[in-house]
Amino acid sequence: MLGLIRAAILGFALLSVVYGVVTIYARSVWREGLEKGWDSDPAREGSRKDERDAFIEAGMEDYRHGLRRKLILLVYIIPAVAFGVIVYIVNAQ
Amino acid sequence: MGGNIWKWVKRVFWAGLMIFTLGFLHYTLPQHDIVRVTNTYNRLTTIGTENAWAYSVPDTGTAESTTTRDIRFIEAAFADGSVIVYRNEDTGWIWPPYFKYDSSNLQAEAGNLKSIAEAPKWLVVTHYGWRLPILSIYPNAVAVRAATSVDEQIIPWVSIVLLLVFGFAVFMVRRMWLQFVDRMVDPALAGVGEAQDRAKGFFGRLFGRK
Repeated sequence: MLGLIRAAILGFALLSVVYGVVTIYARSVWREGLEKGWDSDPAREGSRKDERDAFIEAGMEDYRHGLRRKLILLVYIIPAVAFGVIVYIVNAQ
Repeated sequence: MGGNIWKWVKRVFWAGLMIFTLGFLHYTLPQHDIVRVTNTYNRLTTIGTENAWAYSVPDTGTAESTTTRDIRFIEAAFADGSVIVYRNEDTGWIWPPYFKYDSSNLQAEAGNLKSIAEAPKWLVVTHYGWRLPILSIYPNAVAVRAATSVDEQIIPWVSIVLLLVFGFAVFMVRRMWLQFVDRMVDPALAGVGEAQDRAKGFFGRLFGRK
């Protein structure tokens, strides 16, 4: 039983690292998309830098409240469900 | 000349990593044998330093002492007459992630399905690990069930799914790394051309493309 608690703590720590890395990656990809969207838009040719910054900040604000960010929680949920399924299948008669 | 040596260092490094990864996966992923169980028993087994990696860690349910412990074994025979011996140990909760704690039940099931050569009951034994007599290591049986026939075709769904997940993970790690280099490292180095060249030392040559 102690082993199970230890595995849970270790697993949580490991998945938290994955969660952190995926969060940084997802944010970076989103920001890059916003930047490229702005830079490739001919209507925004010659616009000021602070307009661009404001646009990107608004886009990042959308991201913060979006579904995509919440989906990263699957990093915890999927392994936990897989753990339960494996324990059941392996030990059921 | 110098470039040539690095080319070989690089090749050996990647080949070594590849072999290790494949061996690791082959050891850990589940495999299926179609066998007939001939005997089940416990044996007091002394585990050495050279083969401890192929036995359960000491604090799992069935493995209480580090060096000498009672281990359940299942002996079986293939259709062609060759034999195999499985150990039957709890895996514990960390690695390999089978989370098996029903070794006693499995031993009882295997004993119940025992058969003789004249009236064989063919079984599918799911296991992981290797049988290497020189190291005295045994694959760990995980499950046993009756086979539909001696030449039942088994599709290894679990391995297929896990390899896809593994491939996806490798792909994502690579993409994340490239994203990191693109967005963080390159802009930071853009102004310092000299530093960039110097930074490309040992690891740069090992992992760099060319």
